[in-house]
Amino acid sequence: MSTLVSDQRRVSVGIGQIAVSNDPNEVLVAYGLGSCVGVSFYDPATRSGGLVHVLLPDSEGRVSDGKEPARYADWGVAALLGELTRRGASKASLVIKVAGGAAVLGPANAEKFKIGARNAEAIKEQLKRLGLRVGAEDLGGTKGRTMELHMAAGRTYVRTAASSPTEL
Amino acid sequence: MLAPAQRQITDALSTVARDGAVRAGRGLSGLMGQEIAIHVPNVRLGTKSDACDAVGGEEQVVLGAYLSMTGDISGHVMLLFPEKRAFECVDLMCGQPIGTTVESDELALSAIGELANIVGSAFVNALGDYAHLVLHPTPPVLLNDMAIALVQSVYAEVMAQSGDILMIDTVFEDHSGETAGLLIVAPDPECINLLVREAA
Repeated sequence: MSTLVSDQRRVSVGIGQIAVSNDPNEVLVAYGLGSCVGVSFYDPATRSGGLVHVLLPDSEGRVSDGKEPARYADWGVAALLGELTRRGASKASLVIKVAGGAAVLGPANAEKFKIGARNAEAIKEQLKRLGLRVGAEDLGGTKGRTMELHMAAGRTYVRTAASSPTEL
Repeated sequence: MLAPAQRQITDALSTVARDGAVRAGRGLSGLMGQEIAIHVPNVRLGTKSDACDAVGGEEQVVLGAYLSMTGDISGHVMLLFPEKRAFECVDLMCGQPIGTTVESDELALSAIGELANIVGSAFVNALGDYAHLVLHPTPPVLLNDMAIALVQSVYAEVMAQSGDILMIDTVFEDHSGETAGLLIVAPDPECINLLVREAA
């Protein structure tokens, strides 16, 4: 991790939200992903990147009113790709990381609370549909995760309540 | 949802929560062999952020348990404590001075699980009686995670069907002191309609 912690500005990416940046001092953070899924894109060429915090798998054709532009997997992935290509990033060079989709209410309830697994599946399907390849993923399980995209080096880290950050 | 309907639901669930608290206090006192009273000073509808703020913020590690209700209708019940409050609760339950428990060991976790079982089941039973429904609480699942991850997962489930999070501040008190947790109830929409009908 960077040693310049004091210079870093943490930008919280709330549920259903998107953040993009090309500021090396910024760290984009999705706190406590439970059944939610976080997706980070980073383009090394333009040093721009972004993070979305997706709540649900499928918009089923609903149109975003802008309040939660990444509420659904299809909205979130399309919005993030749109923002970054507008900034000059090329689709082929994007480094893509995905984390979350846990069943935090216990393995016994995983079958009932399928939203985590469905979110993870939907995100991967959206990425595939848009011709994007997942570089690394940390999905499923029963623990909540916090996901960070450090703009300084374009690296993504994941941690849980019980573990320190590890690079994804 | 219309404001009057929301008020009706909150009023109805306040009545249910008060009844549930009395039942849970009775059950807990019987189990512990000492008087433990449970109060619910505040019942309100809120967002996921409100719920996290009530237990110390999104990244706060919380202890608690989740149980769902099944039967005539379904819904989600979760009792959460910031770690420090959970330890105080364990001390209350074990009849030891507050401050004795300082880590979430097996004893602490099982005490919290039992507490959530009593409180959650009492609420579900009170709700069943109020709405004339047959409801069964499922066994509790112990939780020890970041608050937002837990709240969000219930939120995602009810938002997938549309609904609000009901937050019930729950105070536990014995002769030597008190502590508090948050009971979160996320009824399914079908349940909300029934409650509105019952409250009307």
